[in-house]
Amino acid sequence: MKDKIGILICIGIAAAVLVTLSFYVLNAGKIDLDEIMLIGIVLILVAFAMYIVWDRIKNVRKGLPVQDERLKLTSYKAGYYGFIAAIWSAVFAPLAIDILFDIELPGHLVTAVVVLVSGFVFAASYLYMYWKGK
Amino acid sequence: MKTRMKELRARYDLTQEDLAKKIGVRRETILFIEKGKYNPSLKLAHDIAKALQTTIDELFMFEDDEK
Repeated sequence: MKDKIGILICIGIAAAVLVTLSFYVLNAGKIDLDEIMLIGIVLILVAFAMYIVWDRIKNVRKGLPVQDERLKLTSYKAGYYGFIAAIWSAVFAPLAIDILFDIELPGHLVTAVVVLVSGFVFAASYLYMYWKGK
Repeated sequence: MKTRMKELRARYDLTQEDLAKKIGVRRETILFIEKGKYNPSLKLAHDIAKALQTTIDELFMFEDDEK
């Protein structure tokens, strides 16, 4: 039951993110390259979440647990890498944008970069360790 | 780390999925342990040994350089 609730919450959050993103795209008018990149990362994260949900549903149907010690360890490690990425991106994203494009990155975009980069690093490292086994 | 899991599974005619269900882990975990890509916790090693009616030291063999 707990697993099924978790799956439903995950689907609900992904659906809410997609609906919000659609409203944003429909009302944004002209979308810049940097926004396209951020939207791309959001879509990758939603695809990642859907993959995890599909994998969990597959295991529930087979009568296997959705999570075990290996997957918990994978989540902890991926969370650690995501956290490190969040810290470094908060420091270096504004600096890199300033040096490369001579633009001061607004605060809300720095927040967006930090959230999306850490999410992306979490997803990438989770999938790597999930498939690699270590 | 080397393991005799595959050999013992075959002896009891168990698939990876059967063994996973028996000890309550995902099938991939069994696969990675057999491939030597994941070192199980002591509890999981104990559960696997129990399910395969053997002992931990008969199931898992450490290479000298890993000790």
